[in-house]
Amino acid sequence: MDQDSGRKKTSRRRACKFCADENLVIDYKNAGLLKYFITDRGKLVPRRLTGNCAKHQRAIARAVARARMIALMPFAVTGK
Amino acid sequence: MAERRLGSSRDIPGRTREYETIFILKPDTSSEVIGQANAKIRGVIEAGGGRLLKVENWGRRKLAYEVKKQLKGIYIFFDYLGGAGLVEEVERNLHLTDAVIRYYTIKAAENVDAATKTSTVTDESFANASVPGPDEEAIATGQAGARPFGDEEEEGAFDFEEAVFGKVDEPIRNRG
Repeated sequence: MDQDSGRKKTSRRRACKFCADENLVIDYKNAGLLKYFITDRGKLVPRRLTGNCAKHQRAIARAVARARMIALMPFAVTGK
Repeated sequence: MAERRLGSSRDIPGRTREYETIFILKPDTSSEVIGQANAKIRGVIEAGGGRLLKVENWGRRKLAYEVKKQLKGIYIFFDYLGGAGLVEEVERNLHLTDAVIRYYTIKAAENVDAATKTSTVTDESFANASVPGPDEEAIATGQAGARPFGDEEEEGAFDFEEAVFGKVDEPIRNRG
């Protein structure tokens, strides 16, 4: 708690969703799930914001990279 | 045909690898041409010592970005077992197919025991894969069944966004 005192107060650290729920599989084909881990610019949302554990964050990053290759997800969202 | 290549040192003899190949066809491709392309790839896989596990047609979907001047594409998904060198041959054939605008292969698993995998591909289901599924619009308006992974807003049962981001003070998505 005290570690946070210098920062803006945020909510308590959440557990990784994928560790908590085994049925939730990270799959590059499931763009509907992955889109929650990218910003509206198409960039990956950092782990400190999503609460993912390192293992699952890597899996997300890999899945997003794959999904981008087959045009299921954008590389970048520009104003165009 | 695919020349026999040496496998990786990670390969266990007698086991095989599982690959997933997705390719995207031009949106105006007729189901006849899709069927030909599918049959060709199936032939390559089977001639190269592989075994087809699954073929799916995801229908005409919007691409996340423009690919070869196309904004939509028909997605075909192949799941198969194969050894070293098979993917090269499959991708070479996709490259030669004019209607294909993008292909991508991943290794889904290695050292798979082929006997434990059952194929869901029948002649009938294979023929069905040449018919593009319903358009995105049809799905959005509820005129068609859901796709393999459903689509964006459909589910509703489990609000992932809230589950993941629910307690955050400011909206994450504006920090991009």
